[in-house]
Amino acid sequence: MYNTRVRGILIKGNKTYSDVSRDVLRPLDAPTPIWWWVTAGLAIIAMAWGSWAFYNTISTGIGIWGLNNNVGWGFEIINFVWWIGIGHAGTAFSIFLLILRQKWRTSINRAAEAMTIFAVMAAGLFPLLHMGRIWDGFFIFPYWNTRGPLWDNFNSPLFWDVVAISTYFMASALFWYMGMIPDFATIRESTTSKIKKKIYGAMSFGWIGNAKSWLRFETAALLLGGMAAPLVVSVHSIVSMDFSVSVVPGWHTTIFPPYFVIGAIFSGFGMVLTLMIILRKLYSFKDYVTDGHLDAITRILTFISLIMATAYMTELFTAWYSGSEYELFTFMKNRVTGDYTFAYWTMITCNAIIPQLFWFKAIRKNIAIVFIMSIFINIGMWFERYIIVVTSLSKDFLPATWAGYSPTIIEVAAFVGTIGLFVFGVLAFFRWLPTIAISEVKGVLKETTTLKSFTDEN
Amino acid sequence: MKTNILGIYEDEDVLLHAIDKLQADGIVVADVYSPFPIHGIWSRLKLTTRLPYATFVYGAVGAVAIFMMLYWMSVVSYPLKFGGKPLNTLSFIIIMFVGTIFIGTLLTFLTYLGREKMFPGKQVILPDPRSTEDKFVLVIAKPEDMNDQETKHLMKMLKETGATEIKESTVNDHE
Repeated sequence: MYNTRVRGILIKGNKTYSDVSRDVLRPLDAPTPIWWWVTAGLAIIAMAWGSWAFYNTISTGIGIWGLNNNVGWGFEIINFVWWIGIGHAGTAFSIFLLILRQKWRTSINRAAEAMTIFAVMAAGLFPLLHMGRIWDGFFIFPYWNTRGPLWDNFNSPLFWDVVAISTYFMASALFWYMGMIPDFATIRESTTSKIKKKIYGAMSFGWIGNAKSWLRFETAALLLGGMAAPLVVSVHSIVSMDFSVSVVPGWHTTIFPPYFVIGAIFSGFGMVLTLMIILRKLYSFKDYVTDGHLDAITRILTFISLIMATAYMTELFTAWYSGSEYELFTFMKNRVTGDYTFAYWTMITCNAIIPQLFWFKAIRKNIAIVFIMSIFINIGMWFERYIIVVTSLSKDFLPATWAGYSPTIIEVAAFVGTIGLFVFGVLAFFRWLPTIAISEVKGVLKETTTLKSFTDEN
Repeated sequence: MKTNILGIYEDEDVLLHAIDKLQADGIVVADVYSPFPIHGIWSRLKLTTRLPYATFVYGAVGAVAIFMMLYWMSVVSYPLKFGGKPLNTLSFIIIMFVGTIFIGTLLTFLTYLGREKMFPGKQVILPDPRSTEDKFVLVIAKPEDMNDQETKHLMKMLKETGATEIKESTVNDHE
């Protein structure tokens, strides 16, 4: 009853089961390639620069950022929301597609989940830093303290954020790790290196892979997936409430939760596309991540892009229809026209217009163009967060308090540092972990390679 | 020492038919090791799991526990008004929702590890290590009083059902 019809050949090249393990595990045994060292070096330099920014911020205070009384949120919140959005892809990919029984996810979900983990790590650094006095960060936990005990404000979206993001991180990490356990056992049993056998053996938790353990494994995966699926929706809804429960013009709208969730999935899928094109090129995984897989992602992106465009138009309509002059000013005089015109129209172009090119088959088939477009989506989504955070804060109700915002070098360095962290994490994943879910690919291999109807009366 | 007879198969559909045939002849299939989950096996071996019930209980208890915690902290221990909102508010639902998922996910994972007796660094020996790679290993427990002729007959039956390799193994409980 768990079987769905498959759309066509998922894994090309008439692979056998051992071909799958061999192909996926080849990069683990091969010597570290030069591109890896070069990229890792750049990532480490970026992280070092970011650490400098973090050190300066913590030792001096967030006064060294470009924030002012009006624009109290800047680069850090933009980048936090941007990373969290990217971090939505893994779970959206594996879990929604797991629950919808989309078998083409099997070649991609592992990498998407890894991306989630590192993106959420990168995201989490910003609120920590934004606390200012990071050494008092533990105040956020409702622990028994000597100040009353004084508890948290459980009605604050900022507190909800802490709970939601840590839960999301834990659930994604568990789901990701659990999926890798059988693959670690495959490495354990097939490797000839004693050190690898020890390390991967320890990480495989003593996996045996008999009928009962697979039954429990599948059940647990489905349960974890089923529980994490609402998290995908709730995390970004909660992030959006950081904005929408305030009375700032441009933020105080009910469209924010769905708008943020769909934006997160959009940017996440964009980043998955970027990453999978790189991965399949570097490791020659074209038989696993086929043009068909990329085609499926671009189709989803086209659809989500239409929803994004609808959301942008809805925002403009609501601003006009509300009759509130502040709303109208924010959207018409400070976004569509005004000081932030460039950022606004970059956002519209990258998110709502460029992805519509995916309607053309010739463009979907041209991987170079698809790659460039996926980068544009990432840029567009960054500008969306920039628009939301900066335009609304810079010019609100009192013209006397209007202020501009430009980031200082420290803020740029912190952002570059998190990019370094993300890239380094992904590189480590490429180098030492099975980048494609071996056991899941094997599970769909036969029915999708030979297109035989699956004769399972279960 | 307990001995098992292993039938090694190359294909999951052949294996499923083999299980049907063997069971029709009254042979008890003790276990199957495979490189990926095969859905047809669980009903054939009459395997079930109660993991979903455990998860439900964790979620239900978690939701109630978190509500009690929020209520006690906000209403009983230190009733502090924020923005004129009531102390016991509907917006508790958000922490309850996320907290329920937190507790449910973590405990489900731990229960899974506990039931499987899995932990970091556990050492195991498989009856045939190729079952993590590309082979499907069917295990039949060999009764102690089974004579050579009966063993041969059983092995012949396995061969007929499509096993590409048949052997005896003394690996029990993966030690």
